[in-house]
Amino acid sequence: MSFKINLKVNGKEHVLEVPAHERLVDTLRYRLGLTSVKEGCGRGECGTCIVLVNGLPKHSCLTLTATLDGAEVLTLEGLAPEGKLHAIQLAYLETRGVQCGFCTPGFMMMTKALLDTHPEPQQEQVKEWLSSVLCRCGSYHYYFAAAKLAAKYIKEGKIYLDEKQVREKYHMKVIGR
Amino acid sequence: MYRPKTLEDALEFLSKNAPDVKPLAGGTELLVLIRDKKITTPKYLLDLSPLKKQLSYVKIEDGKVRIGATTTLYEISRTFLHSDVRFAGFVDTWKKFGTLAIRFSATIGGNVVAGTQYSDYATLLLAYDATVKAVSSRGERSIPLEKFILDKRIIDLRPDELVKEVEFAIPPQGSSSSFVKFDRRELLIAGIITGAFFLALEEGKIRDVKIAFDMVKGKRAPARSHEVESFLLGKTFSEDLIEKAAEEVLPTYMERITDWWTTAEYRLDMSKVALKRGLLKCKARIEKGVI
Ligand SMILES: Cc1cc2nc3c(=O)[nH]c(=O)nc-3n(C[C@H](O)[C@H](O)[C@H](O)COP(=O)(O)OP(=O)(O)OC[C@H]3O[C@@H](n4cnc5c(N)ncnc54)[C@H](O)[C@@H]3O)c2cc1C
Ligand code: FES
Ligand code: FES
Repeated sequence: MSFKINLKVNGKEHVLEVPAHERLVDTLRYRLGLTSVKEGCGRGECGTCIVLVNGLPKHSCLTLTATLDGAEVLTLEGLAPEGKLHAIQLAYLETRGVQCGFCTPGFMMMTKALLDTHPEPQQEQVKEWLSSVLCRCGSYHYYFAAAKLAAKYIKEGKIYLDEKQVREKYHMKVIGR
Repeated sequence: MYRPKTLEDALEFLSKNAPDVKPLAGGTELLVLIRDKKITTPKYLLDLSPLKKQLSYVKIEDGKVRIGATTTLYEISRTFLHSDVRFAGFVDTWKKFGTLAIRFSATIGGNVVAGTQYSDYATLLLAYDATVKAVSSRGERSIPLEKFILDKRIIDLRPDELVKEVEFAIPPQGSSSSFVKFDRRELLIAGIITGAFFLALEEGKIRDVKIAFDMVKGKRAPARSHEVESFLLGKTFSEDLIEKAAEEVLPTYMERITDWWTTAEYRLDMSKVALKRGLLKCKARIEKGVI
């Protein structure tokens, strides 16, 4: 059995024909090519597959796509427009916590949801939200700092940054190290 | 999968296709069970998300608190259940449940129907003496939660029935509750033991007390411990009394198991600690009037 559904992903409307048992993580990765969405455990424990559905975090490994007719999905690819970086991405870059990076998309999506609901989060709130994702490399403290730095940038109105400029600025310092 | 338009539509589909249908709410329990092959893959899933408008609510009506089955734990956290001291146990349970991301999807109905010793909200609701309302195309029926959860994953719900809501009497002023979960990590782990406690005081005397644990004698699912309750009822609240209830009364009915997590002895000891802490917490909350 398959279902025809409307799904808005990263601002773009899609009409999809999906089998009843297809999980959102597979739709996003294999149908739409949004490979920022990672599958770690496939059972709700690691949080690497978290995306925002209608603005709230959801485990895409525990969500059947057919149940989402009419929903809006945001993945890391849709955080900033083409050619831009979101303040959250810059903050994660600058706090330099990312190691293998497998968990980072899940963390960034949780950060987005956190800052949407608590623009000036307390440490406790940062912990509560970000502890939904597991990082086996142990970057938590850097990510807590990143969430706060992102909140600061957003407050200052620096939401989208030019990707090219950021790349140039950090080329030798971070990317090429 | 069937996506119903209304509750009536869903019930009709159930009555036609039961027992080959499993209702799907948040999916945080069901999809994991299917994935792990703990249950046979159902022929149909009945998607409850289209019923959210009808079945997601927290309200007070006819002297009862009513929580719609598809209400997510997150939605519950945005209501008076998280600000009024009489419901303080809801805040404790919330903080100890899975991870925050899971709480956005998991529903109260799913928790009660899951019916395992890890069903934290079911344990809490037992301490409120809650009732489950089930509906089918044949009509509605109310089942006390205590009778609804018969044993681990064995519940009194017929294949053509849906849980519509859980309800419990509005607790009196001068009452509060607490929920205790001991585990090895802060989050994302099934508790070694859990306990839920409801206490109502009147001039220092215990006017009402309800105690539930993740499991008690003979049942591998959340249950009340009436023996301790009747021991406490009507007596003047004191630390000595609670100590006696925990050390002398509780072990006579409580039966704990040993598994690869920990031993029965340790579980029993922690149950005593939970009882003491839980009741003292209720008392402190009643006195302070805040959670
Ligand atoms: C990582 C993780 C951590 C978890 N941590 C906890 C925890 O700390 N504490 C805890 O208690 N649980 C925990 N759980 C278990 C689960 O999240 C809860 O039991 C949750 O409340 C289930 O709700 P759901 O809406 O996701 O149910 P679903 O998975 O959709 O359904 C569960 C069962 O209930 C049935 N069902 C659901 N709604 C209805 C209805 N209205 N009428 C009839 N049948 C219905 C389904 O058919 C299924 O059999 C955890 C799960 C995961 C994956
Ligand atoms: S892959 Fe979804 S939580 Fe681990
Ligand atoms: S950076 Fe490797 S898992 Fe987090």
